[in-house]
Amino acid sequence: MKVKIDYEKCYKSGECYYNHPELFRMGDEGYPVVLVDQISDDATRRHAEEAIEVCPAVAITLED
Amino acid sequence: MSATAESLADLDPREFDSEAFQQDPFPIYKRLRDYHPVYHDRFHNRWILSRYWDIDGAFQDNESFDRAVYKPDGPYEFGSRHVFGPNILEYGNSNEHRRLRNIVAGQFVGQKLTDFLPMIDQISQEVIDRFIDDGEVELVTQFSSQVPIRVISNMLGLPREDEDTFVEWYQLLIAGLGFGGDHMARGIKARNDMWDYIDPMIRERSKNPGEDLLSRICVAELDGSRMSVEEIKGFVALLLAAGGDTTDKAIANMWYHMLYTRPDQLSDVLENPALWENVFTEMMRYDPVVHAQFRHTTREIPLHGHVIPERAGVILYLGAGNRDERVFKDPDTFDVHRDDLHMGRENRSGRYKDGKPGHLGFGIGQHFCMGYAMARQESAIACTRLMEAIRNPRPKFAEHPGISSPSIDSGGFRSPQELWMEFDRP
Repeated sequence: MKVKIDYEKCYKSGECYYNHPELFRMGDEGYPVVLVDQISDDATRRHAEEAIEVCPAVAITLED
Repeated sequence: MSATAESLADLDPREFDSEAFQQDPFPIYKRLRDYHPVYHDRFHNRWILSRYWDIDGAFQDNESFDRAVYKPDGPYEFGSRHVFGPNILEYGNSNEHRRLRNIVAGQFVGQKLTDFLPMIDQISQEVIDRFIDDGEVELVTQFSSQVPIRVISNMLGLPREDEDTFVEWYQLLIAGLGFGGDHMARGIKARNDMWDYIDPMIRERSKNPGEDLLSRICVAELDGSRMSVEEIKGFVALLLAAGGDTTDKAIANMWYHMLYTRPDQLSDVLENPALWENVFTEMMRYDPVVHAQFRHTTREIPLHGHVIPERAGVILYLGAGNRDERVFKDPDTFDVHRDDLHMGRENRSGRYKDGKPGHLGFGIGQHFCMGYAMARQESAIACTRLMEAIRNPRPKFAEHPGISSPSIDSGGFRSPQELWMEFDRP
């Protein structure tokens, strides 16, 4: 399972990397970078789901 | 270096305690930026950053700059440093902070906020109706300090019939924080009355929670347990101060700048009310409600040829960074049409797709103001409603003592103490 970011929708609010630093970091010019390649444990998955919920741009998705 | 430059570079830290600094800190801010981008204030035992990108850097780097009040190596009783009792900001950069913040943060943005806009509208209208026939208004007491507190009170789910009492307590409380003396005693009494009033509600809603914000706070769990009644009161107090008082002062500052700083641009705003959002943004840059944020270093920070030691207190002068001539053209000019400032809604990251820098007035990053969207909407709605209700707004007095604050360095909020305006009816 992977976290995907739609960089067209993303407006660099920063909510994902400030709330979930274990999963995202701030990259160039404020866009998020996903730190975990494959999500295998429940804790990380919960972080991803929370990030999806708080993203104001609706730019994050989980894909198999 | 010329003699003038030498005297400008020579900064006496006691100047930070002067009346002149509270009234007009900008000349000192400029001297800091130009001559002391990293200033070691030995008198107050702290370090000062004042340039835009240095402040941005400190905000972004939570690992190195911690917001926590406590010292990891010292005895610290939670809540002991705050008049209002324990609150979320004391948790620094921890998981507790993140979780407490998330209990309420969602209430102030997106759909939840949109749902509240008609209520903000209605409250603004009710407040305006009270003075509309007078032909004049003292904007601070009769307008700006009325709207946000009624909105917060509504969000908390307090009974509407008690709102006037609540506003009165709030005004006494805020005056007590700011101006000391008798005000302080009345403020403390108002705080106690308010706590007595809210105490049974906290107990009731802990048992039978509703959809309101107070209920949400009452039942929120941290590590499997709820907050204590005292912690909940601290949380409510923070919402009143951070969500009420700041927006109150933002609205007063916006009108001050339109009436006194740029009366020539008031006509533009009268023609196009959408510009109130620009007035808000430019006010948050030019002279924001909050000028200072505090951090503690968790490691040595090398910067501009200095080394800030580990565990040093650092003050970030947002008000100075916002006037950085390295970032903004003619930074000392208030201009609602400014094209080198991101004018739209703020971001927690401080990075924008239009490539322009934003104001620093909400902070950036981990501790970015969670009420940012609400403050902007509330200010714009209240100002627009007032403007629609009147014609030919003008200052009642030609002279005004200006914007000031009780103490910038203790986090004092900047605003005019009084602001009289005359107007005609449509």
